[in-house]
Amino acid sequence: MIEVDQIQKRYNGSRGLAGFTMRVEKGELFGLVGPNGAGKTTLIKILSTLIRPDSGAARIAGIDVTANPRGVKRVVGYMPDQPGLYQDMRVLEFLEFFADAFRIPSRQRRAAVDKGLEDSGLGARRDSFVEELSFGMKQRLFLAKTLLHSPQVLLLDEPATGLDPMARVDLRNQLKGLNQQGITILISSHILVDLEEICTRVAFIADGKNQADESGRTVIELQKEDASQPRLYEIEVLQDAEQAAKHAAKFAGVTVLDVRHLRFVVRIPSDPAQAAEFLRHLVANGVPVVKFDRPPATLEQRYRSVFGGKPR
Amino acid sequence: MNPMIRKELRQRMRERRGWILPSLYLLTLSAVITVAYYSTAWGGNDRIQGWQVGAALFLTLAYTQLVLLLLLAPVFSAGALTIEKEQRTLGGLLTSLLRPTQIWWGKFAASLMFVLLLLVIGLPVLSAVFAFGGVGPWEITIVALTTVIILGTISAISLYWSSAFRRSVHATAVSYVTVVAMTVVTFIIFGIAMSRLSNRVGNAGWTSIPESVKAPLYLNPLFFITVSLVPRRQLYPEWFICLSVFSAIAALSAILTLRNLRRSGDVA
Repeated sequence: MIEVDQIQKRYNGSRGLAGFTMRVEKGELFGLVGPNGAGKTTLIKILSTLIRPDSGAARIAGIDVTANPRGVKRVVGYMPDQPGLYQDMRVLEFLEFFADAFRIPSRQRRAAVDKGLEDSGLGARRDSFVEELSFGMKQRLFLAKTLLHSPQVLLLDEPATGLDPMARVDLRNQLKGLNQQGITILISSHILVDLEEICTRVAFIADGKNQADESGRTVIELQKEDASQPRLYEIEVLQDAEQAAKHAAKFAGVTVLDVRHLRFVVRIPSDPAQAAEFLRHLVANGVPVVKFDRPPATLEQRYRSVFGGKPR
Repeated sequence: MNPMIRKELRQRMRERRGWILPSLYLLTLSAVITVAYYSTAWGGNDRIQGWQVGAALFLTLAYTQLVLLLLLAPVFSAGALTIEKEQRTLGGLLTSLLRPTQIWWGKFAASLMFVLLLLVIGLPVLSAVFAFGGVGPWEITIVALTTVIILGTISAISLYWSSAFRRSVHATAVSYVTVVAMTVVTFIIFGIAMSRLSNRVGNAGWTSIPESVKAPLYLNPLFFITVSLVPRRQLYPEWFICLSVFSAIAALSAILTLRNLRRSGDVA
């Protein structure tokens, strides 16, 4: 549905994108993850036809974004990181204006606007001025405007920025619902927990290029577990975690990653039998194990493994 | 109807300046016409005829109106595109199915319509002039047409500056610099060139002044309105040159604005 091939873009000498490649399948909810200045916004702006790439190709639903931007606009809904709204317009007027701007036929316009009001939960505020709405309501209004022309693809650049926790939950549910209706969604976000909950796959980007994790993968499946990957285990002991960690480090193939209070985290090669052997080793060495658990490999851990722990 | 025009007009009429500026405009126009009437009719000349008062008031009104509108036109157009950048709404327009030409036309038409509204609400003041005679429909028509052409050009130039800058304050300042350059600087350049010419060949009649000396005046809105006031038979050469120059500037400004609009995705 979205194909990006070796796309490059420079801004006044500095590089926005340096050969980024990506493929998003139809019906996916795909995340784009990377530090500030990685090129996420540039990529989404290119896909939404706001800027032209210097080289490379990008297609949405088979339509080239450079050769046929108008065709792309018909199938894409774009939501920027700071959605701009006309504060001095009423909610209804705002949606009517964009329904008109998206050339929705006059007979269907009323229904499209009413659906937008209903889906966004702003039906009761249709005559309110936009400036009177809360931040979360404004975000919902912008999303309603983005969906007016029934796009096949949604491009969302940091849509949860500035939202309170409940509004974030609300947005996540809305995006899941839209995805279940068949809309392909590309979303960039710094809120990894949100991406982890809703995305099927994520791609890492930094310095305008694809970034690979330690196993060389540039795209990570979030909903499936990969048996070939090393696993992390969190071990809680009754006393002296430092001593326990020393015993753990002696076991072949095990790496101690973190020791805190009465817990320590280790990485064990993929074979589960080895984990069982490791537990026996700890107990045999007198380590008072009270918990031996395998926390899920979170997106945050993967992010750290790709980009390191320090802010960039 | 272009949705941009409807949106722009709705938003403009909701702003406080939507009624403050027309009120101030009418008050200023009325004050100027009152002062002009008393200084013409009661200025010590007992033999002055009614038509002479009418002609004097009409000239005062035509120039005052133009100067006021030259000051007001950038207010409506210089911020038209920068406000979309400041509010971060330009991206929404550029990713909709509106073409850049429609966005430009919506902004231009709405700016010009508001200025035309001021021209129209000035009609009752103008009607006072008719009571004295000395002014016919031709004079009214040609002055109104010339004023509209000048204001259209100033609006197009201000829109260009609005597309070139990110902030309204910068676009408005540069628009006023442009208005001053066209009205004052061109006149100063003409004055300097004329004084050099006079030193060489003595006093020359208008028709004997070389075109190279007159050239700066063809950019001057006050000169354009002046040549529209001459008798109909003398109108053509200078008026049409001014018309061509102003139309060319407006067209060039529109083309450059569209080019900037197409490239403004990175700031949208």
